[in-house]
Amino acid sequence: MSRIRAASGKLVIFLVQCAIALSFLYPLYFMAINSLKSRPGYYTNPFALPRAPLQFVNFGAMVSQFKILLLFRNTFIICAATLALLILLGVVASYAFAKLRFRWSQAVYLAIVITLFIPAQVTMIPMYVLFARAGLVDTYWGVVLAYLAQFIPEVVMLMTAYFRSIPNEIIEASEIDGCGYWQVIRHVIVPTGRAAVFLTIIFYFIVMWNDLFIPMVLLRKMDMRTVMVALAGLIARYTGDPPYQFAGLLLSAIPALLVYVVFQQYIIKGLTAGAIK
Amino acid sequence: MHPRRGPRHGTAPCSLRTPLTRRQLRQRQAILSVLPVIVVLLAIRAYPIVTAAAKSLTNWNGLFTSDFVGLANYVRLLKGAVFWKLVRNNFVLLLNVPIQVFLGLVVAVLLHERVWGWRFFRSLYYIPQIISAVIIGYLFRTLFSMDGPVNIVAARLGLMPVPLEWLGDTATALGVIVFCLVWSSLGWMAIVFMGGLSAIPDSVFEAARIDGAGFWRRTFQVAVPMLARVLEYAVMLSIVWTFTGLFPFIFSLTRGGPGYETTTLDYMIYIKSFVSGVNLGEACAIAVLLLVIILALTVVEMKATNAVEDWSE
Amino acid sequence: MRKLLNIIVLLALVLGLLLAVSGCAKKEPKKLTVWVPARDAYIGPDEQKKAQEEWYISQAFRRFEKANPGVTVELVAQSDAAASHQLFKAAAVAGNAPDVGVLWSGQYIFGIKDAIRPIDDLVPKADLEGLVGWETVREDFKPDGKILGYGAYAVTLCFMFYNKDLVQKAGLDFEANPPRTMADFDAALEKIKKTGVLPMVFDESFPWFNLQVAVYWWYQLSGPDRIIKDCLGEEKFSEDKGLLAMLDYYHALWKKGYVNRDAATSTDYWAKFLQGKAAMTAGISTTLTEALAALGDENVGVIAPPDMDPNSPYATGRVVGGTGGAVVVSKNSKNPELAVKLISFLCSKPESLELLKHQTFVPIRKDITPAEMGYAPGSVQEKVFTYKDNYIYFVDNILTPGVVDEYYKLVPLVLVGKMTPLDFAKAMDAKAAELKK
Repeated sequence: MSRIRAASGKLVIFLVQCAIALSFLYPLYFMAINSLKSRPGYYTNPFALPRAPLQFVNFGAMVSQFKILLLFRNTFIICAATLALLILLGVVASYAFAKLRFRWSQAVYLAIVITLFIPAQVTMIPMYVLFARAGLVDTYWGVVLAYLAQFIPEVVMLMTAYFRSIPNEIIEASEIDGCGYWQVIRHVIVPTGRAAVFLTIIFYFIVMWNDLFIPMVLLRKMDMRTVMVALAGLIARYTGDPPYQFAGLLLSAIPALLVYVVFQQYIIKGLTAGAIK
Repeated sequence: MHPRRGPRHGTAPCSLRTPLTRRQLRQRQAILSVLPVIVVLLAIRAYPIVTAAAKSLTNWNGLFTSDFVGLANYVRLLKGAVFWKLVRNNFVLLLNVPIQVFLGLVVAVLLHERVWGWRFFRSLYYIPQIISAVIIGYLFRTLFSMDGPVNIVAARLGLMPVPLEWLGDTATALGVIVFCLVWSSLGWMAIVFMGGLSAIPDSVFEAARIDGAGFWRRTFQVAVPMLARVLEYAVMLSIVWTFTGLFPFIFSLTRGGPGYETTTLDYMIYIKSFVSGVNLGEACAIAVLLLVIILALTVVEMKATNAVEDWSE
Repeated sequence: MRKLLNIIVLLALVLGLLLAVSGCAKKEPKKLTVWVPARDAYIGPDEQKKAQEEWYISQAFRRFEKANPGVTVELVAQSDAAASHQLFKAAAVAGNAPDVGVLWSGQYIFGIKDAIRPIDDLVPKADLEGLVGWETVREDFKPDGKILGYGAYAVTLCFMFYNKDLVQKAGLDFEANPPRTMADFDAALEKIKKTGVLPMVFDESFPWFNLQVAVYWWYQLSGPDRIIKDCLGEEKFSEDKGLLAMLDYYHALWKKGYVNRDAATSTDYWAKFLQGKAAMTAGISTTLTEALAALGDENVGVIAPPDMDPNSPYATGRVVGGTGGAVVVSKNSKNPELAVKLISFLCSKPESLELLKHQTFVPIRKDITPAEMGYAPGSVQEKVFTYKDNYIYFVDNILTPGVVDEYYKLVPLVLVGKMTPLDFAKAMDAKAAELKK
């Protein structure tokens, strides 16, 4: 009797989870089916499944007219450069906080973490003027530096936590073997703290891919824009062509989704670990 | 002993100079390691704040006019009605936090039951976080437009005789935004809570079940107190996010409209600096006030959770 | 496998770094940088679908380069025309504003005049006499004010577009009998509404109709001097009867159901008009081509707004329009003479005719006839053309910075009754007082 109750309880939970899943997926499904319709077709009935002929031309137009692949390239360049710097600076600084004890390390660490509370909007205007004076506006470097400053505190927090758990004996052993500063990092810290590095790459790639504010302000040149900035501009136009816009939004979501699907284990592990700290 | 002086001045020869101790070497390495991060943060985060605070005391017009006006910007802001509307909007949108926490907890507990396929569901629920806020905002704007799906469905179900202009009325517009925020962050909240739940030994739940506690009782009276730290973490991040991370949502959903009805403080900074840059000193003043509000809220939140922890112990 | 993955990731990061470095701009001598908005100026709506090199403006620059060996012109398309004013400012502070910028005329450039090089000394006399629009680019609209730029790229005119089919179904003929009084207009809208068709469709999330049609009534009743005085705080918006009358009518249009209910937030008004779901909308001459393409050459007409005061001393029988854009030279430009030469080139007759092949503009040159532009007599394009000497200048280019932004934000609330005209006027007064120097 109780076995049935247990089983039916499990069934209920399963069904509830299905319902929740449907509510999460429905907007995406809506976007997908409507990206294959023509503009009048969409307005006639936004719910219906698309009728033949399927308007793959929307996607084609996105590539050829909207140049979405060019935008992908721009965004990718920024992400790659920022990630390279984030990891370099992050690993080095976190190694210091986690393993090299020095005076005032606590205070400095705290100071770095406090900058987390400063919203990007607060520093936006002076930063913009600073970058304009330095000729960094409308360049990739400007956006890279802005992102670096934005994310490095979190990355340092994450990596320091991971590196702390590396046993000191391994480090001492490698030093006895003659490893200097960089060798320790290359041969001990990075391999053992690999999870933190991977998590940083994956998580912040997605965050940067989806970001709007910083690239919108710092990078206005049409042929250097990022994907989301271009889409925001498209959405703001007064001649609405929803299927065309949906096609663009869908395409732009694919890289981040791909990264997530492949690497989701890391992300979920990272999130759950972060919560228990 | 000054290294440069050396043998010429009669002190010990160079070769007998004591090498840096291991500790000193470590210190130097450490300082050099954190130096790049500090430099970057000082240049791009700290310096701009000081500049913003300084400019907020002027009537800077973005070009070459920048006369000191003391606290005039602040006074005008705090006396005017628009600023308080923005604050109201931010605080109303804070509603998304308790809703998210509640629903997130429920979903986390459901997932924690580890019913068949739970890993798949967990991955799925996180997907809204992978999708850009620009996309989500636009989607919700389309769904809730006058002849959009929500109105059509509500009409067919007989819930609404006249279609509502969701984004045209303050209350409903803010409601849609809250809904959108909850939808987008629920997955994250659930996963974070799951992390916390998995740290609770199963024996605790077993004991509760044996004692006859039903599902809801198990959730709220057993799990919640043990999740205090996790709750604090999640709530604090969500609150800060509501004040700093809503820009792309507002931009794609309502542009802050109608009028200023759905404009938040951070969106207003954007408007005042990049859309109508007449008095950037005022924009800086809003930025400073925003920072003050966030810091105050963080302090309050920390004190509150300390109080709750003390109480629950 | 893992090692391979590591190497790939490392290579990607290095590649990213290298590409980022290469993304930095380099300056060359005898080079002009030109900022052009990505739409509605020199780049037409249908051109955006083509590659940048195929745009009219890119090819115009190539022609200029050919005629001036040793010169290169760089085109920077700005995705957000409104923001480019702020960006121009910031770039000027940093000393690297573009040589030539296409901005909005009137108050928009007066507000950034510190960054602009007056070109009184460089404009050829032929241009001063042969082009229109100079009054909108002279500092503070004074007839002897410094010339801050060319009134470019063309004259845009605003009308109410109407769908001939739907209007005829209501028994009306706007060509033979256009509504010229407010009472006629109301009657026409009522007739259209009775046939079950939405009379007018708006998108006032940015107040297009208000700026393209309604402000004409304000201008007609109060006159431009009064409007400027309101902005400067010398008079009050809340005592400006013309403004209040215009706003009352504006709201009445919505209240009586002549306009779509979600006008304050809707963004697909143009799509609706193009699909024949509404009889009328407001629009500018540039979008005429698209309307004709969607609804058919025979099916689109334009009418001027009716007169609220047929005896107005300021304007009757006119439309809103003018040279809404201004092409300016920045103060930090190293080649101002070359810059002006480029602008003058773009305003030359062959270039003007070429530009007009891509977009429906009214030319800024006085010496171009409709026949030369290929407009058939009696066509709707020709009708647009006849207004080229008969417009009032865009009121939102007269409103001062700061005041105009508040206007944009709040006037949609008046349309749907969320704000009374008087409260709106008081808010504008508060803004004007705040900005009063």
